[in-house]
Amino acid sequence: MSASMAYAGLWRTCRMLLPRHHVLSPAAIRTQSSASGDLMPWTSLSRPPWPEQPSPYSAEEEQSRHAAVVSTVNQRINLRDFGRLFAVVHFAGRQWKVTGEDLILIENHIEAECGERIRMEKVLLVGAEDFTLIGRPLLGKELVRVEATVIEKTESWPKVHMRFWKRHRFQRKRIIIQPQTVLRINGIELAPRLT
Amino acid sequence: MTSRGTPSRFLRSVLQNGVGRYVCQLKRISIVFSKKAQSSLGARDFIEEGVVDYANKNPGTVVYVSPQPCRVPKIVAEYLNGNVREETITSKTSQQISELLTKLTNQSGLEIIRIRKPFHTDSPSIQGLWHPFTNRPLSIGPIRPQKPDSQ
Repeated sequence: MSASMAYAGLWRTCRMLLPRHHVLSPAAIRTQSSASGDLMPWTSLSRPPWPEQPSPYSAEEEQSRHAAVVSTVNQRINLRDFGRLFAVVHFAGRQWKVTGEDLILIENHIEAECGERIRMEKVLLVGAEDFTLIGRPLLGKELVRVEATVIEKTESWPKVHMRFWKRHRFQRKRIIIQPQTVLRINGIELAPRLT
Repeated sequence: MTSRGTPSRFLRSVLQNGVGRYVCQLKRISIVFSKKAQSSLGARDFIEEGVVDYANKNPGTVVYVSPQPCRVPKIVAEYLNGNVREETITSKTSQQISELLTKLTNQSGLEIIRIRKPFHTDSPSIQGLWHPFTNRPLSIGPIRPQKPDSQ
């Protein structure tokens, strides 16, 4: 569920948009000294298990391809040609993958009454069926708008916190009840000039 | 008890509350107290001062005040999904009773048991569920219908 940020040494989390000239040959990386400091240590996850194929396109062709992709996505957004949107939102210390009409449980008290609308501002990623917009690390507030309603403010079930040491005659028992808030995500709006 | 020995449920809301309008889930509140006992002192104070403000602030909830000869004063809250919750207010002050009432108003009537997951979606996948062949190129060439050899 979490959208982890890129570490340069782990291929699984690296984004394809990173410039190609950062990827060096394995031999060259191994001969780098550790005093340079900006290269991660070489591990089994530093490169994908399939053989690395150099890109068959030149730099200008790649740039034109990237520009074509960007213009297609912008056209889709301007014509509102997408269906259901999902977003990765950083809220209450956690990241949630969120769509419209879904429920979220926060384990603390929020300063809003039941029935009030809340806007979630830290949006890391927005996706539709055909395209995804990835923020570095956040997307702009004039691009995405994620709104939620506070539905319920309850308390959790009484959790038992017990400490016991055997053969020491030590046991403590405590009942923990935490405040909880339930949010209903009303919707995600995507527009180039939205505030 | 432990979470395995007690009942549990999934996170949900009553009738998709919040998708359109938010509806307060508290249907009815009955304050049962005694006119003379010492334990109902806080309840009597609350009914003198705070009940009318509470009823005006929550127009969707019906407030019943019933003085009866009873040993234990209580508040009986009924919710829109039919659940009934009773809370005793023995020897509580008026302030504590009003806080308890706000807590009951903010709850929906679902049971306070362990909630298995802190999220709930009706549409979990938008770009399609992952399967091991997603984003992998074909190991054999492009698949075409077989041409009959007799041609």
